[in-house]
Amino acid sequence: MGTEQLIRIIPSLLLSKKKLVKGQNFSNYKNAGNPITTILALDSQKADEIFLIDLDAYKSRKNPDIETLKKISEILSTPLTFGGGVENIEASKKILMNGADKVFINTAFISNKKLIEEIAYIFGSQAIVAGLNLINYKNSFIISEDNSKRIDPINYIKELEDRGVGEIKITYVDIEGSRKGMEIEYSKKILAKARVPIIFEGGIGKLDHLKECCENKINNIAIGSLITFSDYNIIKIKQYLNNENFEVRI
Amino acid sequence: MKIGILNYNACNLASIYNSIFRLGYDPKIIEKRAELKSIDKLIIPGVGAAKNCLDYLKKNDLFSEVEIFFKKEKPILGICLGLQIFSKNLFEHGKSSGFNLIDADVVSFPNKKINIGWRKILINDKNWIEFNNKSFYFCHSYLLKFNNANDKKYCKARINSQEEIPSLIIKQNFIGTQFHPEKSQTVGNKFIEKFLNWEPNN
Repeated sequence: MGTEQLIRIIPSLLLSKKKLVKGQNFSNYKNAGNPITTILALDSQKADEIFLIDLDAYKSRKNPDIETLKKISEILSTPLTFGGGVENIEASKKILMNGADKVFINTAFISNKKLIEEIAYIFGSQAIVAGLNLINYKNSFIISEDNSKRIDPINYIKELEDRGVGEIKITYVDIEGSRKGMEIEYSKKILAKARVPIIFEGGIGKLDHLKECCENKINNIAIGSLITFSDYNIIKIKQYLNNENFEVRI
Repeated sequence: MKIGILNYNACNLASIYNSIFRLGYDPKIIEKRAELKSIDKLIIPGVGAAKNCLDYLKKNDLFSEVEIFFKKEKPILGICLGLQIFSKNLFEHGKSSGFNLIDADVVSFPNKKINIGWRKILINDKNWIEFNNKSFYFCHSYLLKFNNANDKKYCKARINSQEEIPSLIIKQNFIGTQFHPEKSQTVGNKFIEKFLNWEPNN
């Protein structure tokens, strides 16, 4: 879209039994506080967007917690993407009409790409975010939910785009919560081919990691551990990037 | 003052409702044409797709009722798709006809790109100058293309980018934003407040 697009810093939060939780490599989840108070703080710190995934719904492939979504919507003036376990148009509709601005769908698109067209027909492509969990495999990456291990993530992204997905969030499972830094090289490969905005998540543990992302045009960055269990907040993060001469909204 | 929010059975209804409620108002969600008659100011939300939205409004007699509302010179705020449907023709999922207030077509971006994120807008109208160079949240895959250079005068803000993205349209008692004020934090709230206090032609 050109250089005028501002960098997006996106807190990525997990919901479980009405609480926020944070894990490492998709396990060892710890309580990370009350969703309402945390999200209100992120809103006032000028988070650019917020992602909230219902972990229990994702695991059980059941519909996510709409009651908590409604409560969050009452206090939030930041764009919210919500999901977890969403597998059909009815669940998507509930999410989008009860406080979310975009619906996050992960596993369901692997087996049912028609769902993308169904949601886009009612809500538009811009309301659909597809999630891809990537794991290391033979010096490259595969999609963690793909039992065949055959789907090339970059081809898969193209297919999602062709079907009408508006945005994609990539999560690097092996480094998620590790605070070791972003997977830069593979992200660059994805960005070279992608048409829709791509959000990257995994491994951001200190400010230098964010700088490294921005230097490589990884401009939509989801963060978890960095804000959940540390002294950093969105204001400090953006101030740092601004001082490094990157275009952020402060 | 009674504020209505038009529900076309898609849209981010709770987001927009809550943003108005937090500002100290008690908006009413409008689902039937009769409900629109007692409304003083109408908000038409975004987060929807053109064809489905327009088909729904026409099938439920809301389309003609919104036209009547507009002709009574009552203020309307159209957000994102709520702006786009005031154009002549829309091309999302085939061609459909909008309210034809603005002589523009609504088309996808070149190479089907999508504009999601915060962007600064450039205002060219002194009445709205307080929003010049302020960042608003955008989330759209279609945009307005003017058919008639003369209608460009209704475009009061744009994004400074390689593609010209009309961001704020004002004509008579209609205001349309391509951005989402209800999702643009403090600056967005100020924008909504300004609409709620706005008297057209003043």
